[in-house]
Amino acid sequence: MNADHRVPDLNIRFENAGVSYGARVALHPLSLTLGERRVAVIGLNGSGKTTFARMINGLAQPTTGRVLVDGLDTAADAKAVLGRVGFIFQSPQNQIILPVVRDDIGFGLKSRGLNKAAIEAAVDGVLDRFGVRDLGSRRAHELSGGELQIAALCSVLVTGPNVLILDEPTNQLDLRNRALVERTIAGLSESVIVISHDLELISDFERVLVFDRGRIVADAPAAEAIARYREIAA
Amino acid sequence: MNTRDLVLSALFTAIIVALGLLPPISIGIIPVPITAQSLGVMLAGVILGARRGAVATLILIVLVAIGLPVLSGGRGGLAVFAGPTAGYLVGYVFAAYTTGFLAERLVRPEQSGLVQGVGFFLAAAIGGIVVDYAFGIVYLAFAAGISLQQAFVGSLTFVPGDVLKAIVAALAGRAVMAGYPLLPQRS
Amino acid sequence: MRTLHVEGNTWAHRLPARGKLLGLAAFSVALFLTHDILLLGLAVAVAGAVHLGVGLSPAEAFRRLRPVFVTIVMVALFSLLFNPLREAAVTVLRLTALVLFAATVTATTAVAAFIDETTALARPFERLGLFQAADVGLAIGLVIRFVPEILDRHRAIQEAHAARGLKARWTTTLVPLIILTLRDADTVAAAIDARGIRRH
Repeated sequence: MNADHRVPDLNIRFENAGVSYGARVALHPLSLTLGERRVAVIGLNGSGKTTFARMINGLAQPTTGRVLVDGLDTAADAKAVLGRVGFIFQSPQNQIILPVVRDDIGFGLKSRGLNKAAIEAAVDGVLDRFGVRDLGSRRAHELSGGELQIAALCSVLVTGPNVLILDEPTNQLDLRNRALVERTIAGLSESVIVISHDLELISDFERVLVFDRGRIVADAPAAEAIARYREIAA
Repeated sequence: MNTRDLVLSALFTAIIVALGLLPPISIGIIPVPITAQSLGVMLAGVILGARRGAVATLILIVLVAIGLPVLSGGRGGLAVFAGPTAGYLVGYVFAAYTTGFLAERLVRPEQSGLVQGVGFFLAAAIGGIVVDYAFGIVYLAFAAGISLQQAFVGSLTFVPGDVLKAIVAALAGRAVMAGYPLLPQRS
Repeated sequence: MRTLHVEGNTWAHRLPARGKLLGLAAFSVALFLTHDILLLGLAVAVAGAVHLGVGLSPAEAFRRLRPVFVTIVMVALFSLLFNPLREAAVTVLRLTALVLFAATVTATTAVAAFIDETTALARPFERLGLFQAADVGLAIGLVIRFVPEILDRHRAIQEAHAARGLKARWTTTLVPLIILTLRDADTVAAAIDARGIRRH
């Protein structure tokens, strides 16, 4: 568990890993290692960036090569990998799956054999981390998009993953909610990989991968990578 | 059951519950309003197939049993299972399974719209009427102390309404298959 | 979502859920084995007295049970066409007592307790490999979670129709409602799997 919020070592390795569906290549085989605290993945729709990110938690399986997270193979050790990698999706309302927020957050801990008191304490702990204890007793249906994404963050982080992947987390949010989520992400001590169309969100990230047609065409700090991306998109 | 199937079933149950909360359906030329519940059961089989359709209706009756007023009119709780028509409610699960079973085998994407419609109608009618009434009639006879023949005769008045529902379910099933095909194809 | 559980701390509330369910099952068997009108009448009186003690006003209690009482009366009247009055009376008394006992269990047992019992009931079936016991709570939660969203979506579809000058009728709203809702299943399932909630 990530109890004291140090920045843990992030070790994600792609070994000639690629994905193709029959004749269509979603991601050409690539090899790289990710270890930075703030990594962004950008590119046009269909560029392979989403496939790449989903290979890290095993949501997408490589058709060639393999992906290792802390030495665990996403294909062979899928369950263990899920424990290390949290994933936030872009649709705010489809991630909180129980009516009351704290029930949803606690549900992820049920299979761990914790007793009721321990689960409640863990739920309170993660809510307090973001200063949103009252969010716990609210009903998901009444929350704004930004509040839902914060709740989703809590539900994912309560199990203590070292790495968090966020797939276009602000895509469906208005300006105010976007700012709320941006602040929250900036304050995370976990290592973070963000897929984003929102270039402002990732403008200070230390490493940005630019995807185009299933390949990485730029791998650099934000400013340089974004410039390269604008060239492609023009 | 994989997660996607479980979620599809639960979302469909939520649709059936939501339909029950909305005012009864009046379909154009037909002046009698149709309550959405048994229509929902036929739709579950026709759209999701046998297994998921059965699970969706099973979740529905569990919701009723645990004390949620999700049946049309705000009915719910164990009292519903204590009444003489409890057989029709429990029969929903078997009806949806039958409807889905038949739909999976009778209907193909390559068929013309008319053939698909007839296939869905047969599936909905055999499941939603023949199978559901079988369970309903048996329990009605037992609970009310009447003979099976008498219970059967008493149920006949509801057949025309349910035939209409089967038609609506068939049309909706066709339209959903055209827009978002989910029905498993089995031979 | 509104539930039929009535908040309270009566003796009936304090009984364990499993005991009440088993008791209800036993009463059901006893009621169907009894043909004595006096005994059945007594059962109705006792059941009625107990039910009125759960915390509901008589008017509210009656309002909840009216639909099923109507069914009982109609079935009894129908049976009079074929059977003597005595049989119809037995039916009415028996089913009324059963309904009142059942409604009392519902009113004095919390939804969460019911979910725990259903989950426990499902556990022996896990070995069939079709589902996990925890799926019970998950499925119930999913329905309650998404019903309001579906109602919102229905409203949105109606408004979109109105904006186009079309009268929103069921024939045009039912199918988009179903398709849009079922499309969400993939993202919801992905989110559940990404959290490792259903470990098979």
